[in-house]
Amino acid sequence: MSDTRLVWAAVETAAPALDAVELTKTYGGSRGIADVSLRVEQGECFGFLGPNGAGKTTFIRLALGLLRPNQGSVSIMGTDLSENRLGALANVGYLPGELALYPTLTGVRTLDALARLHPRPPTLRDELLDLLDLERRDLGRRVREYSRGMKQKLGLIAALQHDPPVVVLDEPTGGLDPVMQARLLDYLAARSRAGRTIFFSSHVLSEVEQLCDRVAMVREGQLLLVRRVEDLPLGSLRMVRVMFSEPMPDDVYRSTNVSGLEVDGSTHRFTFTGNPAPVIAALANLPVIDLVIEPARLEDLFRNLYDPAVAEVPV
Amino acid sequence: MLSLLRARVRIAALAIGFGFFEFVVGLSYASIDQNAIRSLIDSLPPALKALSGSADIASPTGYLGSGYIHPVALTVQGALVISMATAAARDTESGAAELILSRPLAPWRWLLAQTFAVIIGLVVVAGGGYLGGLVSTLVVNDLGSVSAGALLETSAGGVLVFAAVAGVALLASVVCRGGARALGYSAGFVVISYALNYLAQIWTLITPLGRLSVFHYFDAGIVLGRGGLALADVLVLGGIAVAAAVAAHVLVERRELVR
Repeated sequence: MSDTRLVWAAVETAAPALDAVELTKTYGGSRGIADVSLRVEQGECFGFLGPNGAGKTTFIRLALGLLRPNQGSVSIMGTDLSENRLGALANVGYLPGELALYPTLTGVRTLDALARLHPRPPTLRDELLDLLDLERRDLGRRVREYSRGMKQKLGLIAALQHDPPVVVLDEPTGGLDPVMQARLLDYLAARSRAGRTIFFSSHVLSEVEQLCDRVAMVREGQLLLVRRVEDLPLGSLRMVRVMFSEPMPDDVYRSTNVSGLEVDGSTHRFTFTGNPAPVIAALANLPVIDLVIEPARLEDLFRNLYDPAVAEVPV
Repeated sequence: MLSLLRARVRIAALAIGFGFFEFVVGLSYASIDQNAIRSLIDSLPPALKALSGSADIASPTGYLGSGYIHPVALTVQGALVISMATAAARDTESGAAELILSRPLAPWRWLLAQTFAVIIGLVVVAGGGYLGGLVSTLVVNDLGSVSAGALLETSAGGVLVFAAVAGVALLASVVCRGGARALGYSAGFVVISYALNYLAQIWTLITPLGRLSVFHYFDAGIVLGRGGLALADVLVLGGIAVAAAVAAHVLVERRELVR
């Protein structure tokens, strides 16, 4: 068997980095997530999208065994969490969405304390300190003296310093300036190319579009779709911005295929799929002074999917 | 150990403060007229007399022992163990537990580390109190009859009482949602326990209920005068501490330790 075939055989037989099957979690009578199944392959960069309260953090906590599901199972790198949670977590680096650090500890003590809890040595710490511009002398200061961005950097270093095979990041770019965000995304892309699995939740769509191989979208605890970024149904989706000479009511598009309508004074913004004729007909008799129709970006699809008026997923 | 590291300043300050307090208590014995204080205590109503324990407070052991059940001594040790033993609830509330338990660490081991930290902190603070009392026996001639060994057992008795409190606080920390609630239940346990022991001493109707208080099993003046702890008291206090701590460690595995 040639080397190439050996590599492919290994890829085909490798356990998924994260495999969630029919995960359901309710809090008392209220919804958490319902029946979510998701499989993330090793080496993938996977974006997990959803508005606040959609169930992203609940899913991540279930995936790490921090919450117990009412139903369903999760395995990480082939290890079932219900059988061997600690073994599964030995492969994971995690950054929580709401990072809580001990304010009286210094940065270096925080990193050391968290490093001791992980079986893998913190081999990437220096590299990450340089990448994120966190000065060594800052590590000697107490965390309570840190800015939000510095705390986020510390959390990122704690999550990534072990070079874990699976990285789970909940809103990783929060608190970072744009330069740092770009640097972090480039770094994560490089880690992904090096075979590490990156799973991150976000509502910043541009970074998902830039970085991810696949995305999943959740709404109200339900999985809406899982697609490769290039396979997302952006092709037939169009974003429209119309400016009228005077404010218009929002019911002018009745009986058209418009969704995600936003009204801002005399400007309307919405998306539609398919035949543009009904939309053009609806606008024909209105006092339009400017009209922009352009191919939709992921953000527009996202807005379209989360429009409460859209009962069905338009894909 | 992270818990110990975070509490190191608190532990050191309380150990020094407790030591200084016990030293001052011992030092003040030189300035009192034993007969005068004995007649003063005899003239007090039972409600006030009960505050100093059941030992003869005018005796060297009774006087020095009263320092170990003085409200200051109880507050110092109680504050330390409650603040440290309820850390799990506070960490869960703040989200720090989520960061730690997303590492390959079993929740019971996380709690065990906190338990060891509480015990070490308590021993250090009680050690400060012991040293303060010991120094006073060396510099005050009238306290020369108090043996170092008996004083050590008295301090150990205090450790046992507050180890039982720590066990209950650990249990509250695991059961309660929120650090403030865990702290409230733990402090409530100490206050009710103290009040029950006090009332049982002055009100014969509820005397049998005194056994429900952890303070019933530790009268420092008596321990110091007798020269050691009673085995039954050690077993009761140790039993409460261990049973509560074991229950906490079992329950923590069943809890979801995130906000």
